[in-house]
Amino acid sequence: MNSIGGPPLFFLEFGDIMIYFSPYTVALFLLALVFTVLAIVSRPENQVEILFGTDAYYGKEIDVPEMRFRRFMSIACGLACMGAMVTGDLFDFTLFVSLVGICNVGIVAAVKTKHVQNAAFQYGIVALTATVPLFGGAAIAAATTGTLSMIALGSGLAGPAPFITRAALVLGVMGEGMAPFYAAKAEMFRAPGAPYVIMCSFSSLLIFLRVVEVVLTI
Amino acid sequence: MIGELIGATIFGLLLLGIHRKVIARIQGRPGPPIWQEILHTLKFSFKVSWVPRTASRVLFVGIVLVAIAIWVVAYLVVREGGSLLILFGIYMLHKIVEHGFGLSSGSPYGKFGGVRSVISAASEIPLFVSVAGIVLVTGSLLISDITAWQAVHGPLLLALPLAAFAMYLVLLSKMPWGPFSIVESKEIVSGYKTEHFGIWRAGLEVCNGLKTSVLLYSFIVVFLGPLPLLWVLALMLGIQVSLSFACALTPMLAPFDSVTVQSLVAGGLLLYFLALGVIL
Repeated sequence: MNSIGGPPLFFLEFGDIMIYFSPYTVALFLLALVFTVLAIVSRPENQVEILFGTDAYYGKEIDVPEMRFRRFMSIACGLACMGAMVTGDLFDFTLFVSLVGICNVGIVAAVKTKHVQNAAFQYGIVALTATVPLFGGAAIAAATTGTLSMIALGSGLAGPAPFITRAALVLGVMGEGMAPFYAAKAEMFRAPGAPYVIMCSFSSLLIFLRVVEVVLTI
Repeated sequence: MIGELIGATIFGLLLLGIHRKVIARIQGRPGPPIWQEILHTLKFSFKVSWVPRTASRVLFVGIVLVAIAIWVVAYLVVREGGSLLILFGIYMLHKIVEHGFGLSSGSPYGKFGGVRSVISAASEIPLFVSVAGIVLVTGSLLISDITAWQAVHGPLLLALPLAAFAMYLVLLSKMPWGPFSIVESKEIVSGYKTEHFGIWRAGLEVCNGLKTSVLLYSFIVVFLGPLPLLWVLALMLGIQVSLSFACALTPMLAPFDSVTVQSLVAGGLLLYFLALGVIL
């Protein structure tokens, strides 16, 4: 296979499912691991809000059940991210990416505020819609080349995947990795709780970085 | 290795000092001495450090270490001729690190800076379409392969001037006091770094010094090829001064204008590289 992310260092086989570590995927995997550990061991911030047009401010408190649920979602998001970073199988990649999308929606939806809930609902619709090109891209690759293995597709044994596969995968990841599209929206300001909110942006960036390697490889 | 990292950090801080000096002189001010950023780092290292009561304590401290770690890795990638994808990934991750800095403190100013980081990251992502151009021309993303290609064919700057322009824009977006420096503009105090003081700010300054060195060094290696050390240092200084002129002569854009400008440039580049892909 070609070495877009550096020469592969290690292959781990689970039957016909292949996980591979290249310098690129290892770097992304380790970052996902670090941020997941941070999500596990960190207590959330207590956000301070300014009342618009005044000098007054107030603090937001996060109750324990909400914190637990958002922490659970953040950890799940981190684990899905780690999977998406090292998998060598196109279908597994799409599965992990869709799981990242679900977890991101969960992280936001746990905040019991009207505006945040509305935003989470919209996230959900976009993430759900994005699964069509995401899984469609993998399906087209399987139909045209007979394999879902990135290693086989990258080595040229099965031939390069058609352009539509790459475009569909990028489109799907853009939908699942929602943070860049919604960063300016209200929930980023109204949903307290670093490091959980950070996992939304971080996971979105990681899956985007991985899909760049995937589309250049296959 | 540690000596190189320290040297790169100090040189980066010196370049940031020169950056401030050039901007000040263009604006008719005397400006601080060029070693001011080095003095800042030393000063913060010995000041009282604290963690705000509202902060997520582990993240507040841990993000400083992550910031330094990613730029150490970036330096090693350039030095060892690793994959350009890792380097570009780190450029983007720095935005998330800024996001972490801002949101970990609980401060509204940090939060606004952090949110702006993600907004600007969203507009920067497409600029990395230049990666596709580099693959099309050189056939590889390993820096060692790219420098080998340049040894035969000449600087990549001549073959892919628009890709170099895109990367120059990324450098400009990462320079303080520039048109795209919305993450730390004065209306939000110091943005994402408002609450990080003492040793935490010293760590951030170390990160900024190393980041400046890596950004300029990698630009030279990727687009001009391997050069003797003195040439590299002189070119880093030259590029830094050109960036300082751009920063001094351009007003800071509003957040959405900043994103719009970067997105338009990225869209144009995307079309260019799609056309290039069809031709090649």
